[in-house]
Amino acid sequence: MDIVMIIKSVLLLISAALVLLAAYGIIRFKDEVPNVLYARIHILGIADMACILALLVLNEPLLAVAYFILAPFASHAIANGHYYGEEEK
Amino acid sequence: MSILMFSEYALMVALAVFAIATIRITTRKTIAMALVGAGGLSIAVATLLILVNNIYGLSFCRDIATALVLLGPVGTIAFARVLRGD
Repeated sequence: MDIVMIIKSVLLLISAALVLLAAYGIIRFKDEVPNVLYARIHILGIADMACILALLVLNEPLLAVAYFILAPFASHAIANGHYYGEEEK
Repeated sequence: MSILMFSEYALMVALAVFAIATIRITTRKTIAMALVGAGGLSIAVATLLILVNNIYGLSFCRDIATALVLLGPVGTIAFARVLRGD
């Protein structure tokens, strides 16, 4: 069996496990918990990085790098908009 | 079935579960929560489409995934700026 194929399989399984953990973590907390939005943004970061790892393994480096650059900006924009827009009201 | 194919199918199932979780988050009451859900859903569907391209050889899925990866965060940032009140 090819060693590259085994490494690819292990990395894909790791990213699948991380995505499943993120799916559990993102619905785990109730909405009444204070500042739960920031926790969910944090968990979303794990799923983002797992998907970037999967994209790299699947021979899509351009998409992975583009999302690696764009994802932190999106997360920051959500937190910033919530802090100054919704939470202040 | 090779081990690579098995791990690709495992990732596909995990991404489907994650997509359902993000849809549940999208239906919560605050707008920022909906943005979190939409952001997660866009990257999950994009990775799923790349997987479909890899397994079944449907090349147009790659184009849709490219559009999703590039336009998803841009739309999220634009909506978040409106939410902030700029």
